[in-house]
Amino acid sequence: MKNKNRILRWKDRSLAVKVLCQVAMVAVILFSTNMLTYFQVNRTMQTLDSVYASNVDITELAESLEDVQTSMYSYLTVKTSDTLENYFRCEERYKRLSERLNDQITENPVKLLERNIRRMSETYLGETAETVQAKRGRNVEKYKDYYEECLKMYRYLNSYIADLNGQQFKNNSASYQTLRQAILFLEAVSSIMLILIMGVCTLMLYYMVKNVSAPLRGLAATAKLVGQANFNVKMPPTDAEDEVGVLTRAFNTMVSSLEEYVKLTKENMEKEQKMVERELLMETHLKEAQLRYLQSQINPHFLFNSLNAGAQLAMMEDAEKTSIFVERMAEFFRYNVKKGNEDATLGEEVEAVENYIYILNVRFAGDIHYTADVDESVLDYKTPSLILQPIVENAVNHGIRNIEREGTIHLEIRDAGEYVRISVKDNGKGISRERIAQIQKGEIHSRETPGDSTGIGMNNVISRLELYYKQKDLLTIESEGEDKGTEVVIRIPKHTGEEV
Amino acid sequence: MKGKHRINKEILLMAAALTITVMFIFILSSYYGRIMKDVEVAADELSQTYQYQYEMIVDNRNLTFWQAVYENASEKAREKGAVLELKGLETGEDYDKADYMDMSIAAQVDGIILEYNGEEGMQEKIDEAVEAGIPVVTIVNDATQSLRQSFVGINDYQLGQVYGAQVAELLDEDTESVLILLNWEQDLGQNQLYAQINSALEKKVGGKRRIKIHSRNFMSQSQFDTEEELRAIFQAPEGPPQILVCMDEMTTECAYQTMIDFNMVDQVKIIGYYTSKTIMDAVEKDLIPVTMSMDVEQIGTYSIEALTEFWEVGRTNSYYPVDLDVITKENWEEQEEQYEE
Repeated sequence: MKNKNRILRWKDRSLAVKVLCQVAMVAVILFSTNMLTYFQVNRTMQTLDSVYASNVDITELAESLEDVQTSMYSYLTVKTSDTLENYFRCEERYKRLSERLNDQITENPVKLLERNIRRMSETYLGETAETVQAKRGRNVEKYKDYYEECLKMYRYLNSYIADLNGQQFKNNSASYQTLRQAILFLEAVSSIMLILIMGVCTLMLYYMVKNVSAPLRGLAATAKLVGQANFNVKMPPTDAEDEVGVLTRAFNTMVSSLEEYVKLTKENMEKEQKMVERELLMETHLKEAQLRYLQSQINPHFLFNSLNAGAQLAMMEDAEKTSIFVERMAEFFRYNVKKGNEDATLGEEVEAVENYIYILNVRFAGDIHYTADVDESVLDYKTPSLILQPIVENAVNHGIRNIEREGTIHLEIRDAGEYVRISVKDNGKGISRERIAQIQKGEIHSRETPGDSTGIGMNNVISRLELYYKQKDLLTIESEGEDKGTEVVIRIPKHTGEEV
Repeated sequence: MKGKHRINKEILLMAAALTITVMFIFILSSYYGRIMKDVEVAADELSQTYQYQYEMIVDNRNLTFWQAVYENASEKAREKGAVLELKGLETGEDYDKADYMDMSIAAQVDGIILEYNGEEGMQEKIDEAVEAGIPVVTIVNDATQSLRQSFVGINDYQLGQVYGAQVAELLDEDTESVLILLNWEQDLGQNQLYAQINSALEKKVGGKRRIKIHSRNFMSQSQFDTEEELRAIFQAPEGPPQILVCMDEMTTECAYQTMIDFNMVDQVKIIGYYTSKTIMDAVEKDLIPVTMSMDVEQIGTYSIEALTEFWEVGRTNSYYPVDLDVITKENWEEQEEQYEE
């Protein structure tokens, strides 16, 4: 419908209203058609009745006339007051009936005949009155003459009435024929009409049902596609307000929501990943903070200067070993402090390890046998600082400390093509596989910092390597079992995003 | 747009259904309206009312002559605000003209036009009507002794003259007898007619030979008897008359048919009356040499005029002369045209 008015739009109606409307319309149309047919048949019947009523009237008139004649005759024969009374009654009735007849002069033969009958009846009644009067007056001659006259009139009247009846009947027959034809016509037209209306209504209902079911079928097909994760299919948009329209829109909305939801889930997963990374970073930062805290507790310059002063003092006293020890200790701590949050080169890292081993050997009277096999060509590659020293510290603390035999630590740095391979191997207690797995997954945190440690655990090293090189599994721990030593291997890619 | 299309179809169908219904209702209603109107009109047709009711009483209302007279008179009557009824011999009824007079008097009509043929007692009926205040106009023949208001027709003298001339015209050496077939009572104007024809013949023949003129009255006979009588005349031992004068339409047609039946076209000459189709055809074929006809239009017009004048002025002319046309093969065509009209 072109009508802009939303109230009037057919497609906005609910299915129930639509079905009701159409079925009601069909019903109303059929009903009215039938009613009209009945009405016309009734009307025809009424006309037929009225047509024949005229004949009935005429018959009544004829009977009444006969009554007058008979009653007059019986009065003339018997002359009782009863018969006289009867005569007057009949006369009165006939007079009344005859006065109903037409008195106008027209060309219509029926009407003219009516007028003649009416006038004749007046004359006739005049004659009968005279006759009765003469009989009452016992004027024998006169009443006999009058009676003859009356009889003649009676005959005339009867033949006129018969004529009128015949004419009326003729007219009525013509009317009857017309009406009969009308009824036949009605029958034919009604049948055709009913068939036409039935056809149209059937078509209408068929279209309606089709229009309801077609979008539903489309909806089912589309739903199937959506079920196969195809969110690009949609029902053609509709602004109909009926159930199908509402369903279609709801479906489209659902498909859009599904699509959005899936996208959102993907994003959330990515976000979660990032959050884990950030958490690691945070942990690192915490460690750093921890270190800084420790550092801040001692004034490093004071410490270094004191250590330097100690070294000079030892020199002056010719205590050369003490002087070297103090100097190396000062270097080791300076490196730790200085490189806490800076990059370092492999060379610097190796130097830090050597200082650390020297200090430990002084402390533990040369218990640690440290050997190094370093490819000099790779010493300039950048690494995160304080990578090697914690590993060596671990090897000392958890590997070779407290073993009966002589503990050795072997550092090996090799150019392995794409990356630099660093291996720290000890002959200590070894580590169980479970523990290796736990360490590599970062499940062991160095909660309690051992008083004897620099405080940087394996965990920290692994995390920082991953963050620095944006790769996993750069550090592997291998142990062949109890008392068979441990080898920690670090692979340092030669090319990093940050490499200068 | 598919949706729109769909809606359109549904709405279209609904509209179609509605349209069909409305059309149906309209067709049916209008058709029935017309039917009912027809029926009502049939019942009420010719409902115009008039002031006067006249009756025309004739012997045989089925004759085309009287039908023509009635048509003309009826038309004239309508012009003058009156309705005219034609009464006369009707199949299945045994009323005679006296009965019809009685009925008209009893029905208190406003005027009677009567074909008077001198029947016994008819003058009294005329008087009775006039006494009851109903004007009576006689046509064709005059009831001179009655109280009738007026007479429309041709007087016996003139009639005799015309017929005499025609008979004389048809007269030849073989003519021995002339038979006049009257349709009225003997004593009426018959003498005049008879005398006129006689004198015309006398004049023509000049007394050299004697031509028998006789007449027969068919008045009292019914239709079937006329034919029988005519057969008898044609079969008479002395032979049929050479000239047969017919004074009305039916007798003319009967005589003509009998003449054909007996193959006596050469022997009998018929002087016919009126211009019915049969008679006119016969005239055209020269089987009937001449036929007479009173001007039907004049009869109708004058009789109504007489009645109207009576009601409007209170009196009327007592005699309206009417022309008598003589139709032969020569002037047949113009008469035929009139007849056609």
